[in-house]
Amino acid sequence: MKDAFIIFQVIIALISSYFLLNGLWKFVKREQKQTFLKVFYTAVIWAGILFLSIFPDSLRVFSVKFGLGENLNTIIFIGFVLVFMAIFKLLTSIERLEQTISELVRKNALDDLSDFVEEKDKKH
Amino acid sequence: MQEKKVYVVVPVYNEAPVIQKTITEIKNAGYDNIIVVDDGSTDNSYYRFAKMNVVPLKLAINRGKGAAVKTGMEAAKVLGADIVVTLDGDGQHNPKDIKKMLELINRGYDVVLGSRLKNPKGMPWHKIVVNYIGNIVTFFLYGLWVTDSQSGFRAFSKRAINLIDTQTDRYEYDSEVIREIERHGLKYAEVPIEVRYTKYSMNKNNKQNLKNGIKTLIKLLISG
Repeated sequence: MKDAFIIFQVIIALISSYFLLNGLWKFVKREQKQTFLKVFYTAVIWAGILFLSIFPDSLRVFSVKFGLGENLNTIIFIGFVLVFMAIFKLLTSIERLEQTISELVRKNALDDLSDFVEEKDKKH
Repeated sequence: MQEKKVYVVVPVYNEAPVIQKTITEIKNAGYDNIIVVDDGSTDNSYYRFAKMNVVPLKLAINRGKGAAVKTGMEAAKVLGADIVVTLDGDGQHNPKDIKKMLELINRGYDVVLGSRLKNPKGMPWHKIVVNYIGNIVTFFLYGLWVTDSQSGFRAFSKRAINLIDTQTDRYEYDSEVIREIERHGLKYAEVPIEVRYTKYSMNKNNKQNLKNGIKTLIKLLISG
């Protein structure tokens, strides 16, 4: 049972390290889509999971300090993760949508420019 | 040597009372290639400037100053501009300042930033404070210190026009340009500009006030 728990911890630690480093690397490389807020969320979520996979007992310490039952503590933690992920996804979607709208509106305006140039050329 | 083609891009949102005067001033300063981008105005701004021998563009819905300026820049590229100057449509910028900006572009600078804080005479104190906050946030996010990160009066060389790629639509666009300067290692300079704060410009509620400043800050954080 103990070995199974360690393997599980290693897998979680590897996965969270990958996502954490990947997010930070994209930000360092200044990739257009990797924004400050995204990297912040990535760091908070994956660093938290990484920390808990390495030090699972910290959850108990937290639970004792704040007087919460262990099960409740876990539920709260999972809840936080889900809320963070939902906000993250929502922000990304809104951002993408806003950019798409602007691109469409811009394309439309620039199409009018072609008509304007053609008309001007005809006059000359 | 063939003279460089200079285009002036003017974003406009509900500026009907002043837009004709602004365009006339730009023409009087000696610049005839003017692209005016109506950012989905709900007044008759578009009809006022469309008849003034400019390149009129209209965004079907309001997308923000950044989106309007970017549209103007794209149009300038299509029209073969060598230099693009951007200035606000409310007449707060003095087109006579374009000359000194072009001098620097012709001396090899990629971007010239008009700075209100290099000549803050007549600038309301709260605008000075908001600008400093904008400069500090821009510096921490993008690593480049400039004296007026929120100024809309700027000049760009052909190289800069082709390299600068912005994503944000509203006032955060101004800071995003600073990011692009840093990202591409563009050579830039700052020049003091005259800003005319009139009753009209101060009363407009869509300008960069404290509430909009906070919104801009949040958007800056999201856009990174």
